[in-house]
Amino acid sequence: MSYLELSGLQKRYRDAVAVDDVSLSVEKGEAVALLGPSGCGKTTTLRMLAGLVDPDRGAIRLDGAEVTRLPAHKRNMGYVFQSYALFPHLSVARNVGFGLEERRVAKAEIARRVVEALAMVRLSGLDQRRPRELSGGQQQRVALARSLVIRPSVLLLDESLSNLDAKLRDTMRHEIRSIQRSLGITTLFVTHDQVEALTMCDRIAVMHRGRIAQIGSPEDIYERPATRFVAEFVGRANALPATRDAEGRVVLWGERLPVAAPAGGEFDLFVRPQRIRILPISEPVADGMARVTGKVLRSVFVGDHVEVLVEGAAGQIQVELQSGTALPQEGAEVALVWRARDTLPFPRETA
Amino acid sequence: MPTRRLVLQAGLATVAAPALVRAQSSLSGTITLMSYAGIFQDNYTKAVVEPFQQAHPGVKVNYVPGGTSAQMVGSARAQKADPQVDVTIMDVTTSSIGNSEGLFEKLTPAEFPVLNELLPEARAAGGDYGPAVTFDHLVLVYDAALQPPLAKLADLWRPDLKGLLAVSAPPNIQGLALTAMVEKMEGGDHRKSIDAAIRKLKALAPSVSTFEPNPDGYSLILNGVVKVATGWNARSQLYADQTGGKIAALLPPEGSVFQINTINLTAGSKNRAAAAAFVNYALSQPAQKAFTERMFYAPTNGKAQIDPKAIARTAAAPESRARMIDLDWNEVLKVRDQWNNRWRREVVAAR
Amino acid sequence: MSDARLKWLLLPAGLFVLAVYAWPTLGLFRNAFNETGPTGAMVETWSLKTTAEVLADSFTFELTLNSLWLSLSATLLALALSYPVALFLFRTNSRFRGLLAVVAIMPMLISGVVRVFGWLAILGDRGLVNSLAQSFGLITAPMKLVFNWTGVTIGLAESIMPYMILALLAGFGQLDRTLEEASRSLGATPMRTFLRVTLPLSLPALALAAGLGFVLSMSAYITPKLLGGGRVFVLATEIFEQATTNTNWPVASVLAIYTLVLLLLLLAASNLAARGLKR
Repeated sequence: MSYLELSGLQKRYRDAVAVDDVSLSVEKGEAVALLGPSGCGKTTTLRMLAGLVDPDRGAIRLDGAEVTRLPAHKRNMGYVFQSYALFPHLSVARNVGFGLEERRVAKAEIARRVVEALAMVRLSGLDQRRPRELSGGQQQRVALARSLVIRPSVLLLDESLSNLDAKLRDTMRHEIRSIQRSLGITTLFVTHDQVEALTMCDRIAVMHRGRIAQIGSPEDIYERPATRFVAEFVGRANALPATRDAEGRVVLWGERLPVAAPAGGEFDLFVRPQRIRILPISEPVADGMARVTGKVLRSVFVGDHVEVLVEGAAGQIQVELQSGTALPQEGAEVALVWRARDTLPFPRETA
Repeated sequence: MPTRRLVLQAGLATVAAPALVRAQSSLSGTITLMSYAGIFQDNYTKAVVEPFQQAHPGVKVNYVPGGTSAQMVGSARAQKADPQVDVTIMDVTTSSIGNSEGLFEKLTPAEFPVLNELLPEARAAGGDYGPAVTFDHLVLVYDAALQPPLAKLADLWRPDLKGLLAVSAPPNIQGLALTAMVEKMEGGDHRKSIDAAIRKLKALAPSVSTFEPNPDGYSLILNGVVKVATGWNARSQLYADQTGGKIAALLPPEGSVFQINTINLTAGSKNRAAAAAFVNYALSQPAQKAFTERMFYAPTNGKAQIDPKAIARTAAAPESRARMIDLDWNEVLKVRDQWNNRWRREVVAAR
Repeated sequence: MSDARLKWLLLPAGLFVLAVYAWPTLGLFRNAFNETGPTGAMVETWSLKTTAEVLADSFTFELTLNSLWLSLSATLLALALSYPVALFLFRTNSRFRGLLAVVAIMPMLISGVVRVFGWLAILGDRGLVNSLAQSFGLITAPMKLVFNWTGVTIGLAESIMPYMILALLAGFGQLDRTLEEASRSLGATPMRTFLRVTLPLSLPALALAAGLGFVLSMSAYITPKLLGGGRVFVLATEIFEQATTNTNWPVASVLAIYTLVLLLLLLAASNLAARGLKR
């Protein structure tokens, strides 16, 4: 049995199902992201873990013991809130020491561990400040230190980086990841930001409509999305309506592709823009490659890459080229080429 | 139905109003009379105001309720520069304040021959100013169902009445009157000292439910909140009739005190001729007769021929007069603050 | 809009206050310098005799203590009752929240006199409380709940509660559910969370509500008058009594100004205290 086990968790509110059926196993020391759009039930799942929401059904087991109905204050979970939830009336040191005071830890011990925790998040010397005297990034670190200092069984981070600006978010991402690794602390991370999920976690659970759509390593999720939703939500992808010919082979924009068609009705092909290359129309292609032709509609230089929009017989394809390559001429006839195995067919959603 | 007969008689008295009044009916305009609200207003309007208006068709009397006597003298004081009220009927303790502040006019027998018909004590009440227009006296009002019935002032100290008394404390004049009565009961004289009264009243305090009956003692008895209250005879008689004998009034054998209302002509009245006519009429035999027979205030006009049955229920009855304590309100006014303070500190505060 | 033009927004209210408040207050000041003759007649003069007499009278001191004590106890009682109600209203997601809020401030919509008579029916010797207690055999003789300090304190607390609930709701700015969740996730029991987080963060609101309740209690007149049974002497009732029963306007004016000054001092003190709390 894993260190942390969620099985069949469900939570309904008056008129909506927040979490339908969530089961998840997390190993000790592992960092798992709950990734999904807003309203997918990821925060509710995290709050059930913390004991802030009672599940209607299902069980939570931690280290072999059932904690499903244990009140929040007995769970020893470190929860970092999106708003940080620092106590405005207490100094940084009292904020960080709060959990230790509640655990009746000796004063000297508290002082020592608070200093240690503040050093870990690189906030030494700010211990007498009030939270509102700190910047957003500093408040985030205090919140992190406050949750870590109690040596929680599990660290729960709820959209913890979403209130920071882009640059700071990048720094914090790496800091949190390295702290998490060095402490070996089991971590659950709720986010709607795929970069956060991809870079900070060992595994990602993509959530959709109160259920887990797919669990896997960042690479799995990105390269082998299990559902159309995952493919759409994680990374960017061209969704290209395709058809079958008489022999059952896949046809896109009038070209046959060496791709296996899914069973059933209508379907789309998903191709990531970075996986597509633009070649002169005359250039031959190797086996196992997919190829369509079209006209360059637009090329835009975006800094670290170039976005090219190509119009073909039945739609448009977005291509992302590394910068440094020459910008294709607008209006030029080009061939678009990608490996057939980078093509992911998913049935078209009827909804 | 004695009440109906009294009304009839009052009506007849109006028809028989003396020629003197009719001769002045060339008067015109509006005058404002200020006095007590409620049943006093209702009955005074019927018994005095309306007959006056019939005798003087050109004059309209506007009866304005003025609250307590103190509020009335306050109004007169506030309107000193521009009087809005022409005639005021109020307690002698407050009209004397108005007299000394020059708010009211002196009345001469030359202009008001009716003054010569008044009882000496009625003239004395106002000095050179407006004389007494009604006499009343303090009674103990009690629930007619009380067994044994209330027989004397000393019965207030009966153990079975503990918590069932409503006593109006000073500065209310009922409280001042009661002080003099208790002093007399204890064999003293309020003009010399009220020590004995205060001592005795102090023993009464725990039996008193409220020292400030609201809206008044009669209502508290009728609502069953208390069994005995201090009250005025005239109102008690009227309430006794109106409630079919649910309450009764006792003139204590130990003695009682007159309450005197004076009629006052405002200095600077804007319709002095009509106002003077009204004062004249209010003191006249027919008006005095009508009002006494209607509301049991004792007449101040010694020549008024009043139904003996009505007289028997007023302070003018011989056995009532014999029980009256000689109390000069103008003297009591001077010690009012002192009595008031003793009540507050020694009586009301007692537990 | 510039600040200079903004000031014009204060003009209507300013004129109104001038007309209905400043002008009568001036009259109050004028009367305070008058004297009262031995029979109660007012003597127009310019003297400090009345002021000196009132301030030298030990009864004034007694009234002050009574007023302060009554206001303090009514405010504390009302605060203890209002705080949970306000917290509930602040928190609840109930669809009846609006309705519940209206119910909470309903007493404001009812005349003070009517409310007081309601209390008489509840607290009287044969009122609801005593009848119930007697029928359950808890007491043999009725408890004295009205026409004394107890009744006035209860009635006054009830009358200021709606204002205090509104003041609390207005002052709960810093109170954030997430902070309590943070506290609980850090190991604090609900009770400890209340003591360490909710209560300290409510302090500005509590101070605001208490200040308001205290001022309202100090100036309350109807409740002490009607529920006090003549046993409760406070500044407000004495001012009324002097003005309307004793016709002693100079003393009433001096006492009114005295009360005004007292309240201003208390407000200043509570402002300082509130500023301290916010830090």
